[in-house]
Parts: sequence; structure tokens; C-alpha cells
Amino acid sequence: MHANTNIPAKPFNKSSFVIRMTLLMLVALTLFGLLTFDYKDLVLSEAIRKTGDTLGTMLIEPHAKHFTFGEALGQVTITIGLAFLTTLFGAVIALFLALLTARNLSRPAVSLAIKSVVAFIRAVPTVLWVLIFAVAAGLGSVAAVIGMTFHSISYLVKAYSESIEELEDGVIEALRASGAGWWQIVFQAVLPSSISYIISWTFVRFEINFAVAVAMGAAAGAGGIGFDMFMASNFYFDIREIGFITYMILAFAILLELLARWIKRKLAVNA
Amino acid sequence: MRTLLEFKHVSKQYGSETRALSDVNFAVKEGEFVSIIGPSGAGKSTLLRCINRMIDASSGEIVFDNASVLALNKNELKKLRTRIGMIFQHYNLVNRLSVIENVLHGRLGYKSTLAGVLGLYTKEEKAQAYRLLQVLGLQEQVYKRCDQLSGGQKQRVGIARALVQDPKMLLCDEPIASLDPNSSKVIMEHLRDICSKMGITVVVNLHQVDVAMNYSDRIVGVNKGTVVYDGPPAGLTKEKLRAIYGADYDKLTEEEGGRHVG
Repeated sequence: MHANTNIPAKPFNKSSFVIRMTLLMLVALTLFGLLTFDYKDLVLSEAIRKTGDTLGTMLIEPHAKHFTFGEALGQVTITIGLAFLTTLFGAVIALFLALLTARNLSRPAVSLAIKSVVAFIRAVPTVLWVLIFAVAAGLGSVAAVIGMTFHSISYLVKAYSESIEELEDGVIEALRASGAGWWQIVFQAVLPSSISYIISWTFVRFEINFAVAVAMGAAAGAGGIGFDMFMASNFYFDIREIGFITYMILAFAILLELLARWIKRKLAVNA
Repeated sequence: MRTLLEFKHVSKQYGSETRALSDVNFAVKEGEFVSIIGPSGAGKSTLLRCINRMIDASSGEIVFDNASVLALNKNELKKLRTRIGMIFQHYNLVNRLSVIENVLHGRLGYKSTLAGVLGLYTKEEKAQAYRLLQVLGLQEQVYKRCDQLSGGQKQRVGIARALVQDPKMLLCDEPIASLDPNSSKVIMEHLRDICSKMGITVVVNLHQVDVAMNYSDRIVGVNKGTVVYDGPPAGLTKEKLRAIYGADYDKLTEEEGGRHVG
């Protein structure tokens, strides 16, 4: 073979070719879009500077005008309460449903039925469920609790049942062969094996529910810090107050995370 | 000696095609040590599991302790299972629990649902579990978590869990298939002792012909779901082994012979 023959380093690969072409096209479209936007009177540099200013005002000069610090604390507690209550309801109901859903503990037909219903519930966002229940219960905390619990159940059933399915079938077989009943197997083998996963998932859901509970205050009138945020932004146009509330929420989110970690570490040591 | 277990024309059909067991007949006397040998997929596991109805036989009759196993209702079956201990190739312990908790699981079949759920064991049960662990040489490991044990220790926990049931019979499904030679020997010695000293009938599924010959009173050879040998270890001639393992047996022995020569 001649030294100057063109030998490709890599043989032609259709999928990498397609990926490369797609990326190229996206770059071209982005450039085209940026060049042909109708910017009206907006000057990009000006806009970026102003956004920075607003964020700066919000985060550097936070204040509370329409409520005291104590009141804000009370409101955050309400939001956490909403998150806690819905997670607790969700966890208890989901645990029982998960036992009926896990393939190693249940009949295939029952498992499949619950799995499909739960998948449908999960596909619809939490906020939408709250608004659906608001038709019957009216906008407010009742609709928020029911709607959030509903979605928490569907999320946790999937998480729990998959944790339970991690357990080897042999362990269940061994206990069945010694004459143990279903409930005994659940409490003596299944739960001890999967409790740390179950608690982990519950905390993940608690964090999600905290974020949703903030949004519910604004969107569904469920009260709590979310409602104050809604008022500050939509009625008082007070960006500094929003900054204050953002810090409150951030502080509590960090606190929850630390608490979750602490509990998980305790469990890892004892379990 | 009285007959404890009897298989009469037992067959097991999976779907319409696969026949795991066909017309199996054999009997086990009280206090006997019986090994079931045969190639992989011969139906050894199915046969063992038909005894305590972890698998339901399709036809025939299985008599255990004068009761027809296939006719039992749910509660009677539970009672039957408490009197048959079972140990497994993969031990099947709850890894996150301690050794003694795993042993006490053997008592669940005797308890009410609530007492079992809450794990309320009597003083005598705990003492019995501890005594068995002592017999099996695990007194140092009583409160260790099971995932910290070696394979041989795990299998001894499995044996203790079966013995705490106070069983009439012990079913062992490939008890030494995942163990090294030393641990295998320990386990087989324990099973032998359980049979001779405690008077518990032992039925073992085995892969290793030499182990079966060493420890058993009687050997049942299974091939393709049928019993092709039923007699004392001494009667297992080369022809009989060929009948159990098929043509593969010659290859197997040739290889082993070659290895020993080398």
C-alpha cells in the first residue's frame, strides 16, 4: 500500500455521522435565530446589566416590610407542615400499596394493576392534581393536601416497590418453607432488608414536597411562605421582600438536607 | 424402621411441554440419610420442593408422616412445613439482621401472626437458638450481622434456622455447591451428626458423587425426571453412574483421571 493513500483512522460510522450532523444543524439554527431575532428596543448589554441589578437588589438588600421575621418563620413552618403531612400520609399508604406491588410478594395481576394506575397518576404533575381536587374541595389547603398526597403516593409506591424487589426471592422462599405467613415475612425479612432505601426515598420525596408546598401557597392558596411570596411579587412588586423570602426558603432547605443526612448516617451505622 | 416419606407415581409438568418429574417412586425411612444425585436439570430441586409443596406436584401421591401432602389445606400445609426444615445453596438469610435473629425466623411458623410480626420470641426459643448455634460452633457470631459471615458460617446459620423448627426431616438443596472443600466437609459432618445424633431424617441434593457416597445411607439417582437408581452407595457401579449421568459421565471421569495422573 502506498504511503500517501488516505487511510481513515476510524471506519465510517452511521450513528456518529448522524449525531455530528444534528449538532451542526443545531449550531446553525442557534446562530440564525440569534441574528434574526426581533429585539424591539432591547439592548442585550443593557438587559444583562439590569437583570444583574435586580438580582443584586433582591439578594443584597433583602428586607421584610409586610411581615415580621417571626411571622415569616411561622409561615415557613406552615409550608414545612404541608410538606411533612403529605409525605407522611403518602408514605404510610404507599408502603401498603408497595407490598401489593412488589413482584416478589404479590400476584402478577395485582402488581400490574397497581403499577399502571400509579404510573398514570405520576404522569400528571402534582400542581395539576391539586387543581383537579380544588374543583371539589375549593382552592386552599384541603385541595393541596389531597393533591400532594395523591402524587406522593404514586411516586413512593414505585420507589418502595422497587426497593422491595431488590430482596432475593430465596429469602422469602426460605421463610415460606419454614411455615411463616405473609405478614411475618414482610415484617421479619422484607422491611429489615429494605428499610434504609425506604427512608432514603421518603426524604427525597419530602424535599420535593417542600418545593411543591411553596408553589402551592402561591398557586392554590394553600397558605405558608409561598403565599407571601405571591403577594410580594404580584401585589407589592417588592423585589427586596422576595429576596428575604428566598433566603428563608434556602435556609430551611439546607436545614432539611442536613437533618436528612444525619438520620441516614444514624441508620447506616445501626442497620 | 417406619417409613417417613413416600413418593407414589409423582409427576410434575410445567406447561404442556416440559416434564420435570415423571412417575417418581421412592421411600425414605425415619432417621435415614438419603442423597439425591443427578446431572443439572434432572429435576432434583423440583423433587425436593414437592415434599414441602414449595412446588405442587401435578399428579401422584406424596405421603409424609402418614398424611397425604397434596391433599392438605392452607393451614395444614403451614403445619407440615414447620416440621420440615430446609437449607439452600445460597443460604437465603436476611443479611441485614443478626445471626440469632435469622435463626429465630425458624420459629415463625409456630407463632401467631402478630407475635411473628413483632418478633416476640419466648425465653425457651431464644435459649434453644443459642444452644443450636453453640452446637454448630457459632457462639462467637451470635450478634454479628449475617453479611459479615463467611459462606460456611452462613450455611451453619441456615442449618440452625432449620433445626430450631424442631423438624422431623431436613431438606438440603445443594448445601455445599457454593462452598470450598473445607467448609463443605464441616457442613456435611454436621448434617451427618444431625441425622445420627438427633435422629432427624436428612434428604440432600448433591452434585458431588464422592460426597454422596461418603455420607449417605442410600442414594437416589435421578436423570431426566425419573429415578434410575435407588440403593446403597456400595451398589453404585460405573454402569449405574453412567445411567444417572449419561454419556457425560465417561468424559467426566476421563478428565478427572487425567488430572490425577498429571
